[in-house]
Amino acid sequence: MTNRCLYSALVLIALTGCASDPAPTEQLRLSEQAMSQAKAVGASEQVAELTLAENKLVQAQAAMAQEAYKDARMFAEQAELDARLAEARVLTEKSQAQLSELHNRINRLRKQLGELQ
Amino acid sequence: MSAKTQAITSVMLALLLSGCASSQPNSGEALEAARSRFQAVREDSNVLRSAPKDVIRAGESLARADRLSSYWGSADDVRHYAYLSQRYSDIAEQHSDLNLNQERAVKLELEVQRLQLALREAKLLSVQEHGSWLEEQMLSLATSESERGLVMTLGDVLFDAGQADLQASANRTVLKLVHFLQLNPRRVVRIEGYTDNRGDKQVNLELSRARAQTVADMLVDLGIDAKRIEVQGHGENFPVKENASSKGRAQNRRVEIVFSDEQGRLGAAR
Repeated sequence: MTNRCLYSALVLIALTGCASDPAPTEQLRLSEQAMSQAKAVGASEQVAELTLAENKLVQAQAAMAQEAYKDARMFAEQAELDARLAEARVLTEKSQAQLSELHNRINRLRKQLGELQ
Repeated sequence: MSAKTQAITSVMLALLLSGCASSQPNSGEALEAARSRFQAVREDSNVLRSAPKDVIRAGESLARADRLSSYWGSADDVRHYAYLSQRYSDIAEQHSDLNLNQERAVKLELEVQRLQLALREAKLLSVQEHGSWLEEQMLSLATSESERGLVMTLGDVLFDAGQADLQASANRTVLKLVHFLQLNPRRVVRIEGYTDNRGDKQVNLELSRARAQTVADMLVDLGIDAKRIEVQGHGENFPVKENASSKGRAQNRRVEIVFSDEQGRLGAAR
């Protein structure tokens, strides 16, 4: 009898712990959106986070297909933030490049001024 | 207690444990890493200013991971929320870097503009310096006659005998003259032709005028506004030397360019 109780308790825990999540369709949509946004600003495979996001999105979609919704949600949430980080990194790198271009221009101008004076 | 039930129970337990506490890094470590990461961005005023939402979400995810860490069997969730918290912190930091870079870029753009302006001014100054050097050269060619102002003389050798055409050797002088007038846009000139006293007075007058006109035409061709140029022929009047010797006569055959002052005031005509 105690065994049966323990057994059903365990089943209950397993069910509630791992299979009570609804299908995370909205989260997947968000993740895909973040992904395409990152690609739109020019993130490529060279940005490590983009590859991470891509892999997790694939895993999320696979988990969705198997109705493992909690896994799907977790992968999708991580994929979204990985993609957003990839996007942010690309934008920061671009602004960095812009800064060094400006520094170059300033140096060139200073040099020209120095030659004139 | 049947062996079968026992077996099932242990399989379930094993499943539970493996399912939720797999061989990933310790959830406590992940939590601590996320916590110190969050601490760092929260104390950075630039990050707070640039990406307050991401900092808040980093904090929320961290709190969630914190809460879950007190429940048994939720290591995966702890790791998950710790991961999300770290990502939010990273994103916040990137946004802050981006923001700072953009602010710096605005300042540098201003610096570029300032330098471009300074460069333009410096170039202008050097042109003016070159201009004043040229002016000195021009003025050294000219002689100052108090009542007529500055006068530059183009000698007889620049014209073919009895002709009004200017020889190619005059080009350098004329080009200098054009440049000088371009750099001194307010100055005007009067071009005066003279001959010696040999030959017909009227012919000499016409020749002197034609020679002066040739110089004026050349200046106009080279871009000087015709309104800035007066032309006069004086024929054999106003000789600079005696017409008795051939040397003296040669010096009397000339074209003089009278410059106005910098305000464009010319001395009175003869």
